[in-house]
Amino acid sequence: MNNTAASPMSAAASSSGRSVGKSISFASELQIMMFSLGDARRPLHETAVLIEDVVHTQLINLLQQAAEVSRLRGARVISDEDLLFLMRKDKKKLRRLLKYMFFRDYKSKIVKGIDEDDLLEDKLSGSSNTNKRQKTAQDFLNSIDQTGELLAMFEDDEIDEVKQERMERAERQTRIMDSAQYAEFCESRQLSFYKKASKFRDWLDCSSMEIKPSVVAMEILAYLAYETVAQLVDLALLVRQDMVTKAGDPFSHAISATFIQYHNSAESPAACGVEAHSDAIQPCHIREAVRRYGHKIGPLSPFTSAYRRNGMAFLAC
Amino acid sequence: MVGPLPMEEETYLELYLDQRAAQDDLTQPRSPLPSSIVPFDVFMPNSSTPETAFSSLLEEVEEASGDFSSVDLSFLSDELTQENKDPAVARSKHEIEESCKTPSQPLPSEQDAGPDLNSRLSNSHSHLHPGDADSVQPSLEKSTFLPLASITPMTPMTSVSECSGTVPQLQNVVSTANLACKLDLKKIALQARNAEYNPKRFAAVIMRIREPRTTALIFSSGKIVCTGARSEEQSRLAARKFARVIQKLGFPARFLDFKIQNLVGSCDVRFPIRLEGLVLTHQQFCSYEPELFPGLIYRMVNPRVVLLIFVSGKVVLTGAKERSEIYEAFKNIYPILKNFEKA
Repeated sequence: MNNTAASPMSAAASSSGRSVGKSISFASELQIMMFSLGDARRPLHETAVLIEDVVHTQLINLLQQAAEVSRLRGARVISDEDLLFLMRKDKKKLRRLLKYMFFRDYKSKIVKGIDEDDLLEDKLSGSSNTNKRQKTAQDFLNSIDQTGELLAMFEDDEIDEVKQERMERAERQTRIMDSAQYAEFCESRQLSFYKKASKFRDWLDCSSMEIKPSVVAMEILAYLAYETVAQLVDLALLVRQDMVTKAGDPFSHAISATFIQYHNSAESPAACGVEAHSDAIQPCHIREAVRRYGHKIGPLSPFTSAYRRNGMAFLAC
Repeated sequence: MVGPLPMEEETYLELYLDQRAAQDDLTQPRSPLPSSIVPFDVFMPNSSTPETAFSSLLEEVEEASGDFSSVDLSFLSDELTQENKDPAVARSKHEIEESCKTPSQPLPSEQDAGPDLNSRLSNSHSHLHPGDADSVQPSLEKSTFLPLASITPMTPMTSVSECSGTVPQLQNVVSTANLACKLDLKKIALQARNAEYNPKRFAAVIMRIREPRTTALIFSSGKIVCTGARSEEQSRLAARKFARVIQKLGFPARFLDFKIQNLVGSCDVRFPIRLEGLVLTHQQFCSYEPELFPGLIYRMVNPRVVLLIFVSGKVVLTGAKERSEIYEAFKNIYPILKNFEKA
């Protein structure tokens, strides 16, 4: 995996990505994000590296599939519609994505009304910008919707349980903080892949792709990356909770059995089985979470090949 | 019986004096401004129950408001002296608002009258603007000695009507007007100073004036949008000035259908706010996505105002068509925010 004979181009352009041993790493940003999503004050670096790995792989796969869809359409750029198409199977996640896009539109509309300069900027740029994301999303879903359930999502006002759980967790976390800690927490919550857009593009190695994603598609990808991280943290926290052996729990030995299979030899089972002295999420939690997520449990699981084909279950869609 | 507190004493005295002045001035139609303070007369013992006093005073306020509209129309005259009046009006208005705010604290027994009082007060606030600045100043200076013992002191309530002590300040006013004639944008752009016109980008002339510092979008249909003013009067004045510029360029411009489209106000509650708690308990009104925007967006239904709430305690209110809506929205949100104060 060494590229000593590589052309000078690859040295100059740091976007050779994973094959050279990532020169672009989001590990430190991920640590901040993990803290904002419910991890300890100082998340572990190894966990961040592992999460980065998982997110990167999934996003690359997603991009390739989207490029495929785009090519079938005969388009020259990957648009947000291609990504929506890929997500059509999972209604809850799709709904969350749509809500996010609408919020984006809504927020720009409001902020525009406040600042006079923004208002002029918007007028000058030939505004049909209001709700443009919402319009394209709605039009697209209209076109692919055959059973009417996708469009029903727009009127759907159900509570998003995952989001609810995240809000409650954040609320619990912030209640015990003092104002300095809280200020720090708020700042870390504001970090997103979208803020580091160019680094994000390079990380995904977009420039070497044939069909590149559009601006809105990049927004969605940044959102999906963030969602993946959030899902991983959610699941890892659940796994960690499971691992705490409760006294008198008849299945406690069974839990540690599944866990022992996956833990690193360096980490002692005791440290991971009982609540670790550092509250941070360990890589073993993440691995277990990914394993469980990809593992289809149920009577028909040996016959479902949908995810096996791709090798990894997508966390974001 | 609790003795009057020294701090509140002078504000009560001020109000009492104002009320006295108002009673003197109410005979003349030109100075209804102090009458907005009159509702606080509910503390005066000259009525059997505060409720009846309140309702009788309301009638007075209504009448005064009626008189006010005649004052309002006179403001329409195209006088440059309006400029001089504006800062004075803003100043006196602020003073009155400050002094109006504090007594809202001791309102325990009139729980039913309370919210009503405040909303009425905020309605009368909206008539304050074209007030007569000159009549306010002398009335405040009248120093007649009046006994304070007649004011029944009340224990301040802590839960419901907490006074914030701050009033939202208007930051931006967006208004529209109709000049009722077709305009040649190219001619305007060539002849007027401070005008931009780029037909390929946008089909309107962008004109700016320095006093009040505002920007207008002027369309060929004759409609204009005026932004950047700090108050409703300034916005109206600015729109008139733009109309006059167009007039001087030779177009038969008139000034019709002036309408305030949006008011933006901002405020600081001066304590940090725990937004996560707020978004959880007021889910149906709040949206908070810190990765996208650091503020929480609160969509208040009554009045229909959108508030942007930040961790630092700064609050931005927008979407209001009237000043009273901004004040009312802030009054509504303050106790909620206080609940989520981050110690």
